[in-house]
Amino acid sequence: MDAHPPGPSQSVSLRHVLKKFGSFLAVRDLSLEVAAGEFVTLLGPSGCGKTTTLRMIAGLMPQDGGEIRFGDRRVDLLPANRRNVGLVFQNYALFPHMTVAENIGFGLRMRGWPKAKQQAQIDRYLALVRLEGLAGRKPGQLSGGQQQRVAVARALAFGPDLVLLDEPLSNLDAKLREQVRIDLRAIQREARQTTLFVTHDQVEALAMSDRVVLMNQGEIEQIGAPQELYTRPATEFAARFIGANNLIAGQLVEGGEAPRVAIEGQDIALRASSSAGAVGQTVWLCVRPEQVKISAIAEGPPDAVAARLTDMIFQGGTMLVEAAAPGIGKLRAECPPAEVAQLRPGDAVMLSLDGGHVVAR
Amino acid sequence: MLARLAWAVYLTVLLAWLVFPIALVVIASFEGDLQVSLALRQFSLDAYRAIPRGYWESFRFTVSVAALATVCSLLISVPAAWGLVRGRLPERGVVSNLVLLPDIVPQLILGIALLTVFIPLRLSNSFAGVLLALMAMNLAMGLRFSEALLSGMAEEYEQAAQSLGAGRLTVFRLIVLPMIAPGVAIAALFLFMQNLIVFELLFFIAGPRATPISILLFSDIIDRGVVPQAIGMSALLVYAGIAFYAAVAMLLGPKYLAGTLMSRKG
Ligand SMILES: Nc1ncnc2c1ncn2[C@@H]1O[C@H](COP(=O)(O)OP(=O)(O)O)[C@@H](O)[C@H]1O
Ligand SMILES: [Mg+2]
Repeated sequence: MDAHPPGPSQSVSLRHVLKKFGSFLAVRDLSLEVAAGEFVTLLGPSGCGKTTTLRMIAGLMPQDGGEIRFGDRRVDLLPANRRNVGLVFQNYALFPHMTVAENIGFGLRMRGWPKAKQQAQIDRYLALVRLEGLAGRKPGQLSGGQQQRVAVARALAFGPDLVLLDEPLSNLDAKLREQVRIDLRAIQREARQTTLFVTHDQVEALAMSDRVVLMNQGEIEQIGAPQELYTRPATEFAARFIGANNLIAGQLVEGGEAPRVAIEGQDIALRASSSAGAVGQTVWLCVRPEQVKISAIAEGPPDAVAARLTDMIFQGGTMLVEAAAPGIGKLRAECPPAEVAQLRPGDAVMLSLDGGHVVAR
Repeated sequence: MLARLAWAVYLTVLLAWLVFPIALVVIASFEGDLQVSLALRQFSLDAYRAIPRGYWESFRFTVSVAALATVCSLLISVPAAWGLVRGRLPERGVVSNLVLLPDIVPQLILGIALLTVFIPLRLSNSFAGVLLALMAMNLAMGLRFSEALLSGMAEEYEQAAQSLGAGRLTVFRLIVLPMIAPGVAIAALFLFMQNLIVFELLFFIAGPRATPISILLFSDIIDRGVVPQAIGMSALLVYAGIAFYAAVAMLLGPKYLAGTLMSRKG
């Protein structure tokens, strides 16, 4: 057995990977390249095939087509125990009859590391996840957050080519989840560990990832950096799934650098900042709530939309404003509370919807 | 208040009904003869002293064959159940139903069936024959017990170990066995107790060279009535059962014997 040195891990490549359950295609023709050291998130609604994809990569489930490579090594014919993948389960699956140290050291033991080296590595990873004093505890004696960190340390300690995490934060309460998000990302950076992270939570995906892979019904909907996904969703699904969005029906009348959308049922054309559609196409104009400008009725710019405020929800740093625009429907805006201090639900206002993004309808 | 009282009475009656016959035997064994009374009027070890050598040999035979059958059948049935449950083998349904057979067929009939096989193989009236007969019965129970234990254990622990580099056998040795060990110990307890007193199954298979104590007691009592040594030996069987139970209890700690094992979270 070789003592695989921990260090910069491998790139990962999935090509045309396919999984069927009976006649149901759970994963269809999925291709994805992950660079060494990159943190990539599979994001998508429940049932879209994220876990299935992870299990195929880990070797816990055979794929029905395509190939999987770590670096230039083809792994999809190897059994799970020879793939050198670190796996963190949603419920952590820590071995209840072993101590924290034995859990973290399990991968090292399986690789035949000498005892002293094992101990040094266990200590290193206990420190990395800040659990120094707890080496002798059993998993049952740890809090959820501590268990999660043991699971992460166990998956990292043996120097895997790739670490896979399947919704590892969903069992933590909201406050802890935010902290662990930051910790996890810091650990991953320090270890320069290629990581594939799975979540159905778009906030989590945007906050943690180098790149996000948005999945829908077994297929990749869009791959991009978090900002790109947020500002320029490629499809209606992406526009609806990531962040809050006002989707306004219209027709693309000008394309190129300065796209314009003629709004359905209104005699106006709004300027958009980017477009994923073709001229003449029926489209959605997607305007983020924070892009919507609210002004009192007299001061509105010429291409603003008349609306009536229906609700105002104070959120601390921002005010969430809901308004009904005749012919368009319900619109949401988010702005500093001071800007709308004079307004009350029921007031007539003008909403400026410029600078949105266009997707095909 | 009344409900609590009723509950207490109910429990007391239930426990009394469970304990009474055993207590009766144990007490009688110290009196030298069987009286239906829970008062120990005179203390005497005569019943134990009266136990003849044949009884002791039979007792030793019974305990060793019972223990060996328990161990052997668990050694076979636990890995088999693991293969059936985790391997998702298509045979699982068939096997699971087949192993019910020894429980559905009356033990006496099973004994006769085994005898027809054992006679030409010269296995009747032998230690090996009794062992095999007990194992036929134990395997069925052991397999179902282990299947239940494994189905109750999330597969993720095994998959985690596998992805950390453990091969199939290592997963079984380091993860599966330790995690179901308490359940297996309890299965062993059940099997051993059953083997200690099994009667119908061995009625025809046993013989002068292989005599389980239950059959020896039966024929003696039929011939000569409830003789003191029979009571003494019955009491010894109770002690053997309690000793084994205590050993398992000490091994596992008390919490496992409260019936919580099967529902224990991994
Ligand atoms: N073992 C299985 N047998 C049949 N269908 C399955 C199995 N595992 C998953 N599926 C189906 O495949 C789809 C994708 O599942 P999964 O990968 O678990 O989704 P996700 O993790 O994205 O929520 C779901 O529709 C699910 O019902
Ligand atoms: Mg899932």
